[in-house]
Parts: sequence; C-alpha cells; structure tokens
Amino acid sequence: MATTTFRVFRFQPDSGETEAYHQDFNLDHEDKTTVLDALLRLQNEQDGTLAVRYSCRSAICGSCACKVNGKTVLACMTQVEEAKAESGSDTLQVDPIGNFPPIKDLVVDMTSFWEKFKAVKPFLIPDGPAPEKERLVPKAAMEKVAKESACILCAACYSECNSLAADPEFVGPAAFAWGYRFAADERDAQRKNRAKLYSGEHGVWDCTRCMFCNERCPKGVDPRDAIEKLGAIAFQEKVTRDKGARHAKAFLISMRTGGKLNEQLVGGFTDPVGGAFNAPLALRMLQKGKLPVSPLTHRVKNRDQVTKLIKNVKETI
Amino acid sequence: MPRQFAYYPGCVAEFSSKELNATTKALAPMLDIELLPMPQATCCGAGDIAEAKPNLYLTLNVRILSEAEEMGADIMTICNVCTLNLRRANKMVKEDPRLLEQVNGELVNAGARPYQGTIEVTHLLWYLATEEGLSLLEQKGPRGLNGLKVAPYYGCQLLRPSSVMGFEDPDRPQSLERLITALGGEVADYDGKTRCCGFPIILAREEVALKESHVALSGARDAGAQVMVTPCPLCHLAMDAYQRKTEALMGEEYAMPVLHLPQLIGLALGMPTQTMEFKRHFTSMDGVLETVGA
Repeated sequence: MATTTFRVFRFQPDSGETEAYHQDFNLDHEDKTTVLDALLRLQNEQDGTLAVRYSCRSAICGSCACKVNGKTVLACMTQVEEAKAESGSDTLQVDPIGNFPPIKDLVVDMTSFWEKFKAVKPFLIPDGPAPEKERLVPKAAMEKVAKESACILCAACYSECNSLAADPEFVGPAAFAWGYRFAADERDAQRKNRAKLYSGEHGVWDCTRCMFCNERCPKGVDPRDAIEKLGAIAFQEKVTRDKGARHAKAFLISMRTGGKLNEQLVGGFTDPVGGAFNAPLALRMLQKGKLPVSPLTHRVKNRDQVTKLIKNVKETI
Repeated sequence: MPRQFAYYPGCVAEFSSKELNATTKALAPMLDIELLPMPQATCCGAGDIAEAKPNLYLTLNVRILSEAEEMGADIMTICNVCTLNLRRANKMVKEDPRLLEQVNGELVNAGARPYQGTIEVTHLLWYLATEEGLSLLEQKGPRGLNGLKVAPYYGCQLLRPSSVMGFEDPDRPQSLERLITALGGEVADYDGKTRCCGFPIILAREEVALKESHVALSGARDAGAQVMVTPCPLCHLAMDAYQRKTEALMGEEYAMPVLHLPQLIGLALGMPTQTMEFKRHFTSMDGVLETVGA
C-alpha cells in the first residue's frame, strides 16, 4: 500500500468558477494502481464532480491523455508509484493535455484536433472502380506504414508540440502520421495531391523538430518521423515550392557543390522575396562575421565520393 | 595522454559561429582532450537532407562515422543537431546489419570506406558532465564564475528522442546544472530550458520560430538569469542573433546574453576573453564579464 497526494487541475465554468486552480486529494492505494484508477477512485470516493475523460482503460481508445508532473502520458498506462519515482516527488500534479482549451477539469475541447485530422483526408482514395474482391497488398508494402497505423489519436503528441504552441493552426503530428499512413499506402492514388495538401502554410514545413511528439507517443508512432517522410514524398513528387522545402533544397545544393553548408545560399534560396525584409539582420550578421562575405562553397576532401553518393543513392520512400 | 576524439564541429560552428569552434579548440588542451580534424566529413544534413532524401542522409552520415572509425577515435560534437543526426544514423545501422550492408555497398561504390559499426558519438557536454569530467574540471582549479546566475538552455535535439540520445532524463536534465554549479555559478531554473529555440524553421517560418524562442528567453529572464548557456550553436543563433527581432515581435525586452557551453567553461578556467571572441555576439557580454571578473 502507498499514499499519494494528487494535485488535480480543477476548472468548472458551468458551475460559475471562472478561474482554474489545483486541488489536493490524498489517496491510499495499491502499489500498482494506475493514475486513471486513482482519478476514478477520487471521483467515486471523494468528489463526484471531478471530470475525467476515459473509456477502455487499456491504452487502446486514446481518451485519457493528461499531464502527470508536466509530462503527457496516458493515465491508464502510467502507474502512480512509477510516476512518483521518476519525478522524485510524493505529489503527482495532474493537468489536462496542453495546447487545447479546457472544458471541465481534465477534459479539453478537441474540436481543432478532429478538424485537422479530417483535413488530411485520413482514408484511402484509390483510383478507378472498386474491384470485386478486396485490394490485396503485399506484407512488405504495409510494413512501410505499420508504425503510423498504430496511432490511437490520443493527442499526447499535440500536448507539448512546440510548433503548435506558437502556431495554433499547425496541422500537427498525429494528423500527419495519418496523412503519411495513406500517402505511402500503395492502394492510394492521391500521393501528389496529398503532398500538395500537406505542404501548405501550416503544414509539414511548420514542424520545428522539437521531437516532443516522438518522445511522448505512447504507441511508438514517432509522428516527427512521419512528417519527415512526408517531406521526402513531397520531394519525390516535386512539390517543393514552400519555403521549408526550399530550405531543404538549399542543403542538397550545398552538399552537391561542396559538402558543407553554404550559409549565404541557405539564407537567400529559402526565401528570396521575404529575405529582403531581413536585410538589416543580414547586415548585422555580416558585421559580426556570422555570414561569409564570399559566396564560395566549403569543400570537403574526397568530394568525388559525395558527388557519386548524391548521384547513386536511390530513395525508397 | 590526452583523450583523442575525431572532432566534428559542424557547419555552424565552423562558419557562422566561429567563436564556438575557436573556444572549443582552445579549451581542449586545458581539459586533456585532443581534437583530431576530420577533413572528409560533410554536413550532417541538419535534419533537412533527412527530410528531403532520407537514404542519402543515412549514407552521408555513415560516411562521416566511417572516417572517424578509420582514425580510431570516437566522435565529439559541439552541436545538438549534429549529435542527433550522427547518433541516429549510427543507431539505425548498428541495429540493422542488412541496412549497414546496403549503406556500405553504396559507400564502396562511391570509393568510400565501409563502416564496421564501432564508433560512438558524444557531445562535449556529455563528456564533461560525468563524475570523471567534473573531477577533471575541479583538478584544473577553476577561477570560478563568482556566483554568476546562469540559465541552462538545452534546446531539443540533445535530449529528444531519448531512444537515440539517452544521456539523461529528457524531462529533468541536470548536466548543464551540474557544470554550472561545479564552475561556481548559480543555476537560474525555469520551465523553458527544454523547449525549442525555433531555429530549424527560422528562415521558412520566422514568426513561429521567434514565438518559440520567446518561451525560453522570457523564462530565463523571469528566473533572474544574467546569462543563458547552450550546448548548441543553432540555439545560440536563435537566442542571440535573432533576439532583437523576437523582442520587436513580442514587444518585450530580454537583454539576455547567451554563452556557448565552452565559453562558460573558458570563463571559469580563466581563458583570455579575446580567445572566446565575445565581439561576435549580438547581446553585450559586459555584465557577465564584470561579475566573473574577467
């Protein structure tokens, strides 16, 4: 048996509470109790008004994501004693997931999440008439999208997404994991259109690579990797007009011409129009010696090997 | 005998942020480290080449690992992004012999040396934030930071994904704190220390990126820091070179000088300030130098 203090986020606007606050509950519990079991016991035994979203209790439905001592987890998958040991604290602070407005206690409004999910067209769009029997796919082809198919839409990846915090319209990790899951499905006929759809202003090139999504995903989906693969699909489909794609292109050109980064090229090529507005910063960087005066490339030894690799290595995305 | 490393400074430290490279090279002999140059090493791709051509990213990074292997030394980096890209490629081929065979096929076809999978990639911070590293610093008798209040700023890619990086708890890192304390500084703790600086998208999505760096800059300021320290030159550019733009966008003042990790150590060990090239920084270091007595 163990005793834990749960510091739970409370917010009940329907009851006239305009300010959110944290409320402490003490609970004696078994050593293997999960955070979700503990929250449900608090609801049953101490405060029936505590709002918690949950369903399956076994990490399948994706309903019970929340923050435990600041880290987004599935409450049903997290043992109280383990969370205490990990954070070195006898108190567990439980908050709703981040980047969504709270509705009541631990329940958040996920409308924007579902809108973004729908916007990536998370379903197969095959070409031509439906066959008489099912569309068969070789096992190896499905293995390409196996990780992404494991997404349970719990939104743990959105909770701490740094790009989403800065740009609430960023489509975001889970939606793009699903986007990749269909863009890379050999039965789907919309690969190029998907590349265009996902490359917009708040699309794949908005991802700042903070890696929180890969770190937090409870199912090993690695949404950042899916976003990266969507970038590669965009390159394969020659959908490369976005500034983010041009930034990546500048790295490829740097590699082709010298082997190392050409800072002038990256700056100028990524955003030739908007870059003009950055002239004062560029000037200061020149003054500080942070931009090279000469546009010459930096060349590595045995550069012919690099040239050959660029020519020979085939992409298999 | 100094500990030898194949030195991979990365493109930003080599070109834009030369002060980082210069300070690291000056610091190494003070810490009994010998940094061996890697003349064949290309850019790691910074995540951009991985995003455009993943197989090319992997092959180019394995070529870098192979050069170090030929030199008989593990790789030392001074950049979060290089560390992640090199470690990720290393993990991919070490865990999948068939993949290593394919990549080696490409390398051999291009006249490059195949990789046998024997190299480790570490960051200067990781090397120094061990008991061995900290006692090494103590032996060097640091003059100390004189209670300088330093905000540790980790950024992202030295911590996450932990399956690739794995040096410390990505949610409660302590390596920078241990170094700051060992060098006689005071830690200014704040939530934003593990958040993103926004640099990877600063050219393509400037406003989003600056809003991201605001979280860390304002957090460090509100924690009473006199200076931030970062193990990554990309974070440094976002926090230092772009700081005025972030101030203009957010309508706030940070006035926050930012140190590269080796500069913090250099200050504590009494390295001449000219060697650390603070004149290349955007935000004045005068207050920091005054506190430290440099």
